[in-house]
Amino acid sequence: MAGLDPLRLAVLAAAAWCLAALVFQTVRAYRFGRHEIHSAAAGVSLKGIAYAFGPGMMPWGKESAARHLPTYLTGIGYHGAVFAALGYLVTVMSRVALPAEWRIPLTAVFAAGAAGGIGLLVKRAVKPVLRSISCPDDFAANVLVDLLLAAAIASLWIPGADTVLLATAALLFLYIPLGKIRHCFFFFYSRILFGIFFGRRGVLPPRPRESQP
Amino acid sequence: MTAEPTKDILEERLGRLTPADIRKAVETFRAALGHQGAADLNACVHCGLCADTCHYALTSDEPENPPAYKVNLVMAVFKRYFTRLGRTVPGWVGARELDETLTREWVDVLFGRCSLCGRCNLNCSVGLNITALITAARAALTAIGLIPPELQSTITTAYTTGNNMGIAQNDWVETVQWLEEELQAETGDPTARMPLDLHGARMLYTVNPREPKFFPLSLLAAGKVFYAAGESWTLATDYYDVTNYGLYSGEAPVAGELSDRLVRTVERLGCQELILGECGHGFNANRWAAPEWLSKRYPFRVRSVLELLAEYIRDGRITLDPSKHTEPVTLHDPCNLVRLGGVVEAQRFVLRHAVQQFVEMTPNREKNFCCGGGGGQLAMTRYAQRRLQAGRIKADQIGATAAKVVATPCHNCMDQLSELNKEYKLGVAIKTVCELVAEALVLPAQ
Ligand code: SF4
Ligand code: SF4
Ligand code: SF4
Repeated sequence: MAGLDPLRLAVLAAAAWCLAALVFQTVRAYRFGRHEIHSAAAGVSLKGIAYAFGPGMMPWGKESAARHLPTYLTGIGYHGAVFAALGYLVTVMSRVALPAEWRIPLTAVFAAGAAGGIGLLVKRAVKPVLRSISCPDDFAANVLVDLLLAAAIASLWIPGADTVLLATAALLFLYIPLGKIRHCFFFFYSRILFGIFFGRRGVLPPRPRESQP
Repeated sequence: MTAEPTKDILEERLGRLTPADIRKAVETFRAALGHQGAADLNACVHCGLCADTCHYALTSDEPENPPAYKVNLVMAVFKRYFTRLGRTVPGWVGARELDETLTREWVDVLFGRCSLCGRCNLNCSVGLNITALITAARAALTAIGLIPPELQSTITTAYTTGNNMGIAQNDWVETVQWLEEELQAETGDPTARMPLDLHGARMLYTVNPREPKFFPLSLLAAGKVFYAAGESWTLATDYYDVTNYGLYSGEAPVAGELSDRLVRTVERLGCQELILGECGHGFNANRWAAPEWLSKRYPFRVRSVLELLAEYIRDGRITLDPSKHTEPVTLHDPCNLVRLGGVVEAQRFVLRHAVQQFVEMTPNREKNFCCGGGGGQLAMTRYAQRRLQAGRIKADQIGATAAKVVATPCHNCMDQLSELNKEYKLGVAIKTVCELVAEALVLPAQ
């Protein structure tokens, strides 16, 4: 394994742990019990799933987004930046040097993401509804991800800061299955079931208005 | 006068919880969650964005009202008993022991501040089935006797007498016979029938026992429409109750038995179809939940009477004269029938043929707001004040349409809407869809 220093190995090990633990948790969730469906469908599950991941994610598809547009957009930006940072992490892991002209746009993406993350953190700390449902894990998860974004910026500009990015990534991967960041996996599980539920009942996608029953 | 002693029974039970009770509650909770519940509780991001999709949260600032708070209460127990970090460092992840304090809060919030309308399900950032999570917690509470006794008594009455109003069989039969005479008088046809136990009838019609008890003309309206359509139908002498409050207690075996009685009746009478009368939760229970409670695929079709009415109109089996209703009519969409049931357009199609001015509420269809009477709230009188307060959203929706008549295909909703009508001085008439259709019916010439 030429080129794999201990830190890179640690990141790989942490990522493997993360994946294995998430798979294990999925199996455990599955073991809570699954039944065959017996009611006759009135709609199509697959159409429901397609809707759930398409129009159903848009502000006109759910009020949680429509009524909180700034938070919704911040959340999208935040998640986009995290995925970009993970992509960047792959290049750092494999020692692929990115063209220099990528540095500024990437910095902008990561910084915007981190700013969004901090904004959400502040919102969680001050809004009564959010405070009433938050626990240290909610704050820790946010901080860890913000740190990853900050470390990604540092590694773009400061020689040797790759090690900070790698260490943060390893920590993040170790933590993902333990705390709320595991939603990155379970989001898809839940969203698919959401699509199946409303799809087979013929609720989603919404039928053409005034259509003949 | 009546609410106090029942409240005491619940309080007394809360004070006598044993470790064995808690174990039983946790086991029931686990089984009721199933894989979807477990996945959902791993997926919630604590974003709180569901807060203002709920009529309780929109009408009161109490911190316990947002769906996120309710989910968090359920999640706290899930984490404590079923996650590693929850067991080892509960404070870090918000895990909580299901002790007396938390069980008391579960009862108050999960029974007392939720009508299981599913509006939050549809609008959750992730797509959690929040009603299923709350129902799983209710199932755990019910398993250890922590269900508000008023709701339990509705279920027990249905279980022991065959209908949730405890109507004696001879009273029911007499009511139907009297309605048959009324039908014959109205139609001028001495052969017009309100059949009971007619073997080989094409469909079995089920009703909310509230109809024979308080609103027999509503049942007569259905009979008149079936007569006009030349339908082959029957009522049953024993099991005719479309409601199933087991849906709200989460007690699957009891709920399953209540629905299975209808299944057995369809089979006993050799019918091809089970037609569910106008009842939101009765539709959800019998159309969607019961086959899963019973692990059974039905050999017959199950439809709402609304779908049947739409079919009659489409096939020209009945003719309606909309000029019988000149005042603006709006429609309340029962959550269990529409958002959670999938019967969305049939009632609109029917109303457009039965009335001259049909006005939609905003929002409507699957996005509609609950009237506030679901989830067993109408039965649980101790929470009546909250229910009326939460219903303000619905009252505002109705007021904004300037309609004079509110149609709703659910007798449960009718009760709540009637209370809202008084409380918020709406000055509207509230009718079922069948009633409006029957009034507009052009009877075949004799
Ligand atoms: S199901 Fe309805 S009443 Fe219950 S929390 Fe959700 S929106 Fe509120
Ligand atoms: S919107 Fe969904 S994910 Fe967000 S707090 Fe509410 S239930 Fe949880
Ligand atoms: S009472 Fe009516 S509106 Fe309310 S939950 Fe039931 S069906 Fe929904």
